[in-house]
Amino acid sequence: MPNLKELKNRISSVKSTRKITSAMKMVAASKLRRAQELAESSRVYADSLSFILSSLAGNTKNSADLPEILTGRENSKISLLIINSSDRGLCGGFNSNLFRNAKKWISDQQGQGKSVKIMTVGKKASSFYKKTDLDIVASFEDLNSNDRQLQVSEEIKNKIMELFENNEIDEVSILFNKFVSAISQEPTYQSLIPLSNEETSEDESEANNAIFEFEPDKNELLEYLVPRNFLTQIYRSVLESSASEHAARMTSMDNATRNAGDMIDRLTLTYNRTRQAFITKELIEIISGAEAV
Amino acid sequence: MINLKVVSPQKVIFEKEVEMAVLPGAEGDFAAMPNHSPFISSLRPGQMAIMSSNKVDESFFVSGGLVMLKEKVCEVLVDQIEPLSDVNSSNYQQSKTYQELEGNETALGTFEQVVNNPPYK
Repeated sequence: MPNLKELKNRISSVKSTRKITSAMKMVAASKLRRAQELAESSRVYADSLSFILSSLAGNTKNSADLPEILTGRENSKISLLIINSSDRGLCGGFNSNLFRNAKKWISDQQGQGKSVKIMTVGKKASSFYKKTDLDIVASFEDLNSNDRQLQVSEEIKNKIMELFENNEIDEVSILFNKFVSAISQEPTYQSLIPLSNEETSEDESEANNAIFEFEPDKNELLEYLVPRNFLTQIYRSVLESSASEHAARMTSMDNATRNAGDMIDRLTLTYNRTRQAFITKELIEIISGAEAV
Repeated sequence: MINLKVVSPQKVIFEKEVEMAVLPGAEGDFAAMPNHSPFISSLRPGQMAIMSSNKVDESFFVSGGLVMLKEKVCEVLVDQIEPLSDVNSSNYQQSKTYQELEGNETALGTFEQVVNNPPYK
């Protein structure tokens, strides 16, 4: 028969766990709202920039005129994958989903005869990939404020430009959890080099039709635009990933709170039964003692 | 009136109808007015001035960026922007823009110049 005192301790410990998880849920919910707002307000800049870029690239008839960093190298041998994880845990399958997905992508690339390098964002990814034998070119951690997110994006941009110039990488993709809704996030790849053309066809045709004058000339503009565009894309993926992280944490903490509640109910039931059984036992002892006299 | 929309990587700074906006284009200042021909340019560090009837209403320092001009819309994608009403020659070094630009001597020099003696007043 379970000990009454033990049960009581157990119940109070589960209760305090529930308090913690429900507090974490609230915090994640408010952070999620903020992260979503940021992601949305940064979209205007990103959209305008990609519009300008596609109208510039669309205006250039011969794609050979475009710089290598836009179109990619022909015989690409080394791909770089930037993995956007979180700094902290307790967010359900957020990171493990991402790593599982990355593993598949890496073996795909290796199957095509390319070698893969990794850049990690967030503590979880850097500690995970440290244990593998993959080549980690850089790790970024502590993305705890918006300024820091922008700063890290800038550093990543500089790093990939430098690696590309030195022929150390030929392709760059970025992997992040795309924010679909508060209950669903989806690991997504985006190609930075070569530049992916995933704008809606409507947008693109508009961009190609408008006749813009360019100042200074196209090449100089591209020189300015290409790094800007990297920065924006990276920044956007960082923001999406942070919104997804908070959403994932919110749902998993919600589940944890509910589970803790169920557990408390079960334990309380056992506690009451045990207590009653104990009383009954004592009564029986007294009565049978009295009868014996 | 032309719709002037100023956007930074983080957010939309403001969006409003203006009569004319003067911008520091890479190859010289230009004025954005309605029915300008479609035009894309990069920006050099300098003063952005919103004007009506030949007077400057509002004035900003921009550290660089891009501008896309269409018939009735002028979209300015800025790197850093600082309203000049908030800064003067004594406190501009404390502004966020100044700190962000650290190491970029040309931009800082222009910032100082624009604060002390803006080309459009």
